Amino acid sequence: MTTHFIAHDAADTVGVVVVEKVLAGQEATGWIMETNETVTIKALVEVPLGHKLALADIKNEDTIIKYGNDIGRAVSDIPKGGYVHVHNVKTKRW
Amino acid sequence: MGNSQQSFFGFLRENGRVGVRNHVLILPVDDISNAAVEMVGHNIKGTLSIPHSYGRLQFGADLELFFRTIIGTGRNPNVAAVVVIGIEPGWTQRVVDGIAQTGKPVSGFSIEGEGDLKTVAKASRKAQEYVQWATELQREECPLSDLWISVKCGESDTTSGLGSNPAVGNLMDKLDPLGVHLCFGETSELTGAEQVCANRSSTSEAKEKFLNTWNAYNDFILENKTNDLSESQPTKGNIAGGLTTIEEKAFGNLQKIGKTTNFIDVLEPAEEPTKGPGLYFMDTSSAAAECVTLQAAAGFTVHLFPTGQGNVIGNPIEPVIKLTANPNTAATMSEHIDLDVSGILKREMNLDQAGSELVNITVRTANGRHTCAESLGHREFVLTKLFRSA
Repeated sequence: MTTHFIAHDAADTVGVVVVEKVLAGQEATGWIMETNETVTIKALVEVPLGHKLALADIKNEDTIIKYGNDIGRAVSDIPKGGYVHVHNVKTKRW
Repeated sequence: MGNSQQSFFGFLRENGRVGVRNHVLILPVDDISNAAVEMVGHNIKGTLSIPHSYGRLQFGADLELFFRTIIGTGRNPNVAAVVVIGIEPGWTQRVVDGIAQTGKPVSGFSIEGEGDLKTVAKASRKAQEYVQWATELQREECPLSDLWISVKCGESDTTSGLGSNPAVGNLMDKLDPLGVHLCFGETSELTGAEQVCANRSSTSEAKEKFLNTWNAYNDFILENKTNDLSESQPTKGNIAGGLTTIEEKAFGNLQKIGKTTNFIDVLEPAEEPTKGPGLYFMDTSSAAAECVTLQAAAGFTVHLFPTGQGNVIGNPIEPVIKLTANPNTAATMSEHIDLDVSGILKREMNLDQAGSELVNITVRTANGRHTCAESLGHREFVLTKLFRSA
């Protein structure tokens, strides 16, 4: 079975697409490295290789979790299966 | 451990260090000696000239770093002998003396009062003597603990944090117990993960040194920045590859130190380690050529460079091994990639296997296999400058 996306930790709210792309509406299969679990998420938009999709509903100003840690803040609401990148997430540091 | 290599074949130097390459270096003290250096390099085949942009009117900490880097480059065990050329005799001799401490052959020539042509004639004869001497040196079998390995990632993307960086980390976890010297750096690129990194110190002294170093760099960035550093850090290449914030990049970066390896000390830029075998953190820029130049100057002899989007850097002194977990990069930029670990993302390869393959190619490189960067002629030598000249 193809792995479409990978997440590092069980607590992560984003996963990384590891196939050429996932298509809008596609049921994407994901591997959670920490627990070796498999999950399925419906991608709402097309997401290319290396880019992220939301594994849960994220609200504006929520902390994004990856590697089990804080990697930034959402600057808009992001639905589960949505595309997560520089248009809706910013650094907290600079 | 998963692989049987416990030794490699290297050049045993006068001070007990072991080199994996055997360069005769033509080294300029300053930018105006570059022409003479290149003339010598052209006259005598089998030499390595490294022109650079600085060495004049620097002062204070910037000058100290400059000398540490230039002298360290000459001292590196991958260098058999050095011809130093400078505009005047004082700083030329300082560089010669610093290199001579290792016991290797080194000579200095200065241009004032002589002119380029007379200087080049004398320096060329010395370079020829060194090349003929160095080319008769033979490799000897040495334990893996004689390898000093530096690491830095570049043009990272999310595959770096998923595959290529953890593969490097797996190598560290395998080699640290064997007594190998290891080095990582990129101070600003740990922003977001600095507390987690600090907790990977083996002593409270190392932890404190690390946090002081990171805080100083962070203060400098906060003082000088004009925006949120979008496109500078992370770079446009990082962003195109899917990395969104510096925090995300930092946690990916940190995967390079594996799961069990802790750092034993913190080094100034280009500072040679003094606490024996183990992992060191060096305060460096996150710009690839600057970082590897500093690590080579501290005496590291092989470099591992995981890349996502395809950084093509090499170094004149340290062979730079490139690995990637990005299947597009492995396919479109294959002439640059020594090890493809994209199988990790397809779950065709696990981290232990990737780490073993990386140890394998590291030993092959140490034994003489030219890396992609070497064969393509990538020799980026970039000095870190702390502030303007006087």
